[in-house]
Amino acid sequence: MAPLTPLSASEISEKARRELLLLLEGVRGKKNLVLEKALAGPLNLLVKFSTLQEYGVDKPFFLENDNVDSSQRNVVFLVRGEKAKTVMKVADQIKRIRRDSQIEHEFSIFWVPRRTVVSDQLLEEAGVLGEASVSSWPLFLVPLADDVLSLELDDAVHDLYLRKDPTPIFLSARALMLQQQKYGLFPRIFGKGDQAKRLADLLIRMRTELNAGDNNTSNGPSFLGLTPSSTIDSLIIIDREVDFPTVLLTQLTYEGLIDEVFNISANQTEVDSSVVGGAATQPGQTGSASTSLKRKVLIDSKDPLYSTLGDANFAVVGNLLNVAARRLQSSTERNQLAAKTTAELREFVARLPGYQAEQASLKLHTSLTEEIIKFTRTDIFMRSLEVQQNLMSGADPTTQHDLITELIARDVPLPLILRLLCLESTTNAGMRPKDLETFKRTIIQAYGPQHLLTLSSLEKMGLLGPRGGTSLGAIPAAKPGTVTNYTPLRKTLRVWDDDVNEADPNDISYTFSGYAPLSVRLVQSIIQKQTLANLIKPSTHPQASAQANPLAQGLRIFDDACKYVRGATVDEVQKGEEKAGKAKSMLNGAHNEGKTVVVFFLGGVTRAEIAALRFVGQKLKESGGEGRGTRIVIATTGVVRGEGLVGTAVEERRFG
Amino acid sequence: MSKPTANWEKVGDKFYRKVQLYTGVFDPDLELDKYNVAGAPYSGAVAIYRDEEKLHTYRGTQAAKSSIDIYSCAGKLIRRIAWDKGTIKGLGWSEDEKLLVVTEDGTVRCYYDLQGDFIPFSLGHDAEEHGVVSCKFYSTGFVALLGNNHLISVARYDEPRPKLLAVPPSEEIISWAIIPPAYSLSRSVEVILAIGTTLYVVDATEAENRDFTAGPFRHISVSPRGEFLAFYTDDSKVWVVSGDWSEKLSEYNSRAKTMPKDMQWCGSNAVALAWEDEIHLIGPNSSATKFYYDSWVHLLPDVDGLRLLTHEVCEYIQKVPDETVSVFRLGSDSPAANLLEASSLLEQKSPKADDLIQLIRPSLAEAVDTCVKAAGHEFNIHWQKALLKAASYGKSVLDLYNSDDFVDMCETLRVLNAVRFYEIGLPLSYDQYKRLTPESLIERLINRHEYLLALRISEYLHLPVAKIHEHWAAAKVRHSTADEASTAQLIVKKLYGKPGVSFEQIAHAAYDEGRVALATELLNYEPRAGKQVPLLLAMNEDIIALDKAIESGDPDLIIHVLLHLRKKLPLASFFRVINTRPVATALVESSAWDSDPELLKDLYYQDDRRLDGSNLLISEALSQPDIHASEDKLHLASKYLADSKPFASHRTHIDDALRLLKLQQQFDKDLGLDGPTSPGSTHNPTSYTGLSAHQTIFTLLKSGHQKRASRVASDFKIPDKTFAWLKLRALVAARHWMEIEELAKMKKSPIAWENYFNEVLAAGNTRVASLFVPKCTGLSAKERVDMWVKCGLLVKAGEEAVKSKDGALFEEVRTRASGSTLLELERIGVALGGR
Repeated sequence: MAPLTPLSASEISEKARRELLLLLEGVRGKKNLVLEKALAGPLNLLVKFSTLQEYGVDKPFFLENDNVDSSQRNVVFLVRGEKAKTVMKVADQIKRIRRDSQIEHEFSIFWVPRRTVVSDQLLEEAGVLGEASVSSWPLFLVPLADDVLSLELDDAVHDLYLRKDPTPIFLSARALMLQQQKYGLFPRIFGKGDQAKRLADLLIRMRTELNAGDNNTSNGPSFLGLTPSSTIDSLIIIDREVDFPTVLLTQLTYEGLIDEVFNISANQTEVDSSVVGGAATQPGQTGSASTSLKRKVLIDSKDPLYSTLGDANFAVVGNLLNVAARRLQSSTERNQLAAKTTAELREFVARLPGYQAEQASLKLHTSLTEEIIKFTRTDIFMRSLEVQQNLMSGADPTTQHDLITELIARDVPLPLILRLLCLESTTNAGMRPKDLETFKRTIIQAYGPQHLLTLSSLEKMGLLGPRGGTSLGAIPAAKPGTVTNYTPLRKTLRVWDDDVNEADPNDISYTFSGYAPLSVRLVQSIIQKQTLANLIKPSTHPQASAQANPLAQGLRIFDDACKYVRGATVDEVQKGEEKAGKAKSMLNGAHNEGKTVVVFFLGGVTRAEIAALRFVGQKLKESGGEGRGTRIVIATTGVVRGEGLVGTAVEERRFG
Repeated sequence: MSKPTANWEKVGDKFYRKVQLYTGVFDPDLELDKYNVAGAPYSGAVAIYRDEEKLHTYRGTQAAKSSIDIYSCAGKLIRRIAWDKGTIKGLGWSEDEKLLVVTEDGTVRCYYDLQGDFIPFSLGHDAEEHGVVSCKFYSTGFVALLGNNHLISVARYDEPRPKLLAVPPSEEIISWAIIPPAYSLSRSVEVILAIGTTLYVVDATEAENRDFTAGPFRHISVSPRGEFLAFYTDDSKVWVVSGDWSEKLSEYNSRAKTMPKDMQWCGSNAVALAWEDEIHLIGPNSSATKFYYDSWVHLLPDVDGLRLLTHEVCEYIQKVPDETVSVFRLGSDSPAANLLEASSLLEQKSPKADDLIQLIRPSLAEAVDTCVKAAGHEFNIHWQKALLKAASYGKSVLDLYNSDDFVDMCETLRVLNAVRFYEIGLPLSYDQYKRLTPESLIERLINRHEYLLALRISEYLHLPVAKIHEHWAAAKVRHSTADEASTAQLIVKKLYGKPGVSFEQIAHAAYDEGRVALATELLNYEPRAGKQVPLLLAMNEDIIALDKAIESGDPDLIIHVLLHLRKKLPLASFFRVINTRPVATALVESSAWDSDPELLKDLYYQDDRRLDGSNLLISEALSQPDIHASEDKLHLASKYLADSKPFASHRTHIDDALRLLKLQQQFDKDLGLDGPTSPGSTHNPTSYTGLSAHQTIFTLLKSGHQKRASRVASDFKIPDKTFAWLKLRALVAARHWMEIEELAKMKKSPIAWENYFNEVLAAGNTRVASLFVPKCTGLSAKERVDMWVKCGLLVKAGEEAVKSKDGALFEEVRTRASGSTLLELERIGVALGGR
């Protein structure tokens, strides 16, 4: 038996794909597919539309549009069943079709990722449960890249931090549990944050329940499954609440900026076709919707050119593109000249499609870069970046207030302002009550009274608040561990790096041109102790650097840092039965090398953090000493960005 | 010991054997010919009920009571189900030994264990109206034929959904059969109907005429895996057709005058025709053999053979497996046969044994394999032993042999022999056992309450035993007459700490039995919180259920309980319950935001959450289509916070919003903007209502309403800086260059002059922009030079450079210039001198 690679992206997507197609196969004949919009992205990542057509899907509809017609006898709903609202929508549409249509329809509902008791109850009350055959598509993690798995819960931030609804935690726990059942328990679970603690508790509870549960339903050797894994090193859960600033900051990697400017969703971004050229490669689609001038661009980490660009700091992307262009040009030209024998010529021709693809990709990214440069050159961008950098490097926040007020007067989009204010509040354990009050007033005057609700929501989410937490009475006086204190963290974790090198990065701080994401620093304090220790306290003797830095022992950095970071700390060891564990390690062979560390971001991860973690992973691989080829897999409830985070709070309606 | 070939019959070139499984099966008084019989697949239980259309000997009132009797194959009565629910039109089994009883009115009862507990469901209105005529069953479902020739299919029993198949012609149906979905081409159930002289194939979407003329077909039978179809024609012939209808494989003339009462497949190789006491077994190539009986015989088809049931014997006909043939056939010289011979010679201590071994030495491994397999197919324990001994002997001679198969077979045979024992009465063949799987076998034993055997077999085969324990305990709970405490104690003592045992299931059984105290007691031992919830709800232990649901962390369960509570409790007590449970409150809030704002309002009021309540009102205000209604809601929101100090500022904001709205409406009226109805032009706003203070000022300035703008600014204490910005932006946006030039004449500005420059330049007016350059005194000379350059005024830039006496800067400007500008610059440049 070859050693299993835990949480392998291809395996997960293959499984999800198979399960969906099996479900579709179960509905005989042609069918109309009604899809929840939020599921379109993940579905697109897993299955091509042509494949769906092969399985009898005639036309896709969006649930939100409520426009499914009666052209097919079979109607299949593919929706998330956790929210009563969506369940009711499905019920209403079934009723509508039944009322309006002449023919008798066969309804099928595939709940994602599970069938819930409540959905059954609601459907029954609506009188449609008997009409539809109900099954579930257990889609939990969707691979966005080989090392990034996402639950793609768009509402996760909203649910977790605004509504305090534990659904995302439960679904995360389920998803992780499924992986544990397959690859064995995470031998150790670290975590930071109150919600992280809840997730860890839930995982442990689920494990005991599974032990007690009906193991005859789970196929495979379940008695082996619940012993610590020999291929996974640990699970690190980072609660987003612990580190909001990282999300609020403008990401400065290429991929991060694409996300900031164009918004990536499920690896796809929509770009105005005037920017990237309307080279719509799907014939037959262009004719109909001429009004949509947007073109979908796939952000594909498998594209060789993009893989070098995506995680780089934007400052060097121009150079990289230049290099790539020159290389491409010279290689095509040289080959044309040098190709003398027919064999050489044939070889060249065979490679042409590759060149062409590369050329296309080069063109695409050059135009994207140009567009982003336009954006980054604007006065507003530069000013907001200035505020961000000043705040993160520890400058007195009050010095930034004039700049922010000016930006408000210039009517820059509200989310940008909110990001800056929340950044100040979260990095300084709240704002001075007087300042906060002034800003609130200004925002309401500038953007409208409806934002009273926006501001309240931000306070509820803990993004904005008065220092000491006294003003609105909602939050009791700050206790230690309820706020993150950045001042000591700048030292203990060195979250601000003054001599950052963007072109040839030596530390994760390159992702924000100075700020090293706290979340990733916490991960480093667990898996890359030596490097981090040397970074924080470079040893005095250069030759001694190879030896153990006293800071690197045990979990000293992690423990030190956790004192200043808000939320509960988790450190659990999961043991199994001694015997079974031994048997398992015998079966799989003892691997001390190349274990997998799973980093779970509860509440979302930013693309810059992904880049930073990849950088850490790279270093672990090459250093040889510390990492032993450790592989990092990032799992999350979804990819977030600053605008999305504050956007959850923003009230869209207005008076009049 | 009788020869193993004694019961073999040769049909064509193949051997068939008729194994006598049990004798003395039924009470001799039982008139089996007057009963309908259905046997569960994989040698399962047999259900019989009296055929109402036949006459019976009167045996007193007791016997006249109708019932469905479930027997084991050995004739042991497992359960008698008293029947008074109407005419039975279909009786069949599923592969997991559920008994299905279909009555004429379309009611289906699914007896899921062998103990008489059932779940009913209906085939629908159609069936009620026209009545069920007959039913055909397959492993997981069945098809019912209605009086109007409609066909209704049920594909699963856990969630039965009767589905109407395509409608066939309404002529009389002579006979019919089904092809199970697993073996049909369309992957859904297909029905073959004999109508008139032809055949129809019906599936979910169409009824297709196969255009036969040889009918009418009196019997249709589909082989167990759907690869062959057999038809019995009116002129006593049996046709065998391949499952895809592509070719006719054989035709057999029975020459019988009377119509056979049944035709079934025996495995996939032979067709059996049954008359009252006579069986014809027709092999491939139309060869046949006949068996005669003394009494009425029933055919019970199974996957790999055919069970025959008379009231004396239960027999099993199957094709003799190849391995068995190779070992036992008369005159066989296969290695396996020689190995068996050698082994018996060894027992007789004859030296010839070794000679024989040497003879088959090259193929000894194969011989051992054959013997092992043949042992598996053997029903007779004596021959099983002989074959295994032979295998073991052969194995010992071989240097290298993987004994796994041998060991497995020994285990399997032990299990098989145990369950074939007449008291258990499960005469499984080896193939059936493999297909049934040991887990399902355990299930069957449990349903027969053979717990000890089930436990022993599970332990022997290393299977999970939790289910057995659970079932035992559930049965204990149902049937024990001991008091609650001692029953609970007994169960807990035996089962506590055993992995996988679900106390919830046991508790549920107890609850169903009405032993609530016992159920509560048992439920405490259930480790999975979520599992306890449904039962707790059923037991009206709502609060505990809520706590358990929260403990499980599953929001679905929590909401489920909450919905339940919400319906049951008065609002006030509902809030009291969730009040102390933050997760529950959060979930109630979260779902109420979407669906039930009134509930939310009450919740906030009850909890005195002023800010949230006020916010809710603001949110409602936003949703009002009419501005006056919005204002009313805002007033309410403000009042909500009236006497709470901490929210004073919040209240001021709301009041400000109201003031602003009033003012805006005034503007709309004064300026003749009648709300959204007026078809607004591009520059002028359609309405001021709903804009923010800044936007109002901006729009007013843009439309040239200076005074009003200033009034708003003073009313709402807009800082000068902000006002200056708004003015600048508004004027630029409206392209009021004149007024901007006026601004340039001001001495002072609240905001830096370069902002004016930038905004105007961005709007593309270099002339006006340049007016502001000299005012930017706070900037360095170089920046000013750049500004001039941006306006295209190189000469001015040159002058600026000269003024600051910066040679390099001047040089930079000079390089940009050309023509007359260059000359001009050269002229100024002189002033720099020195170079």
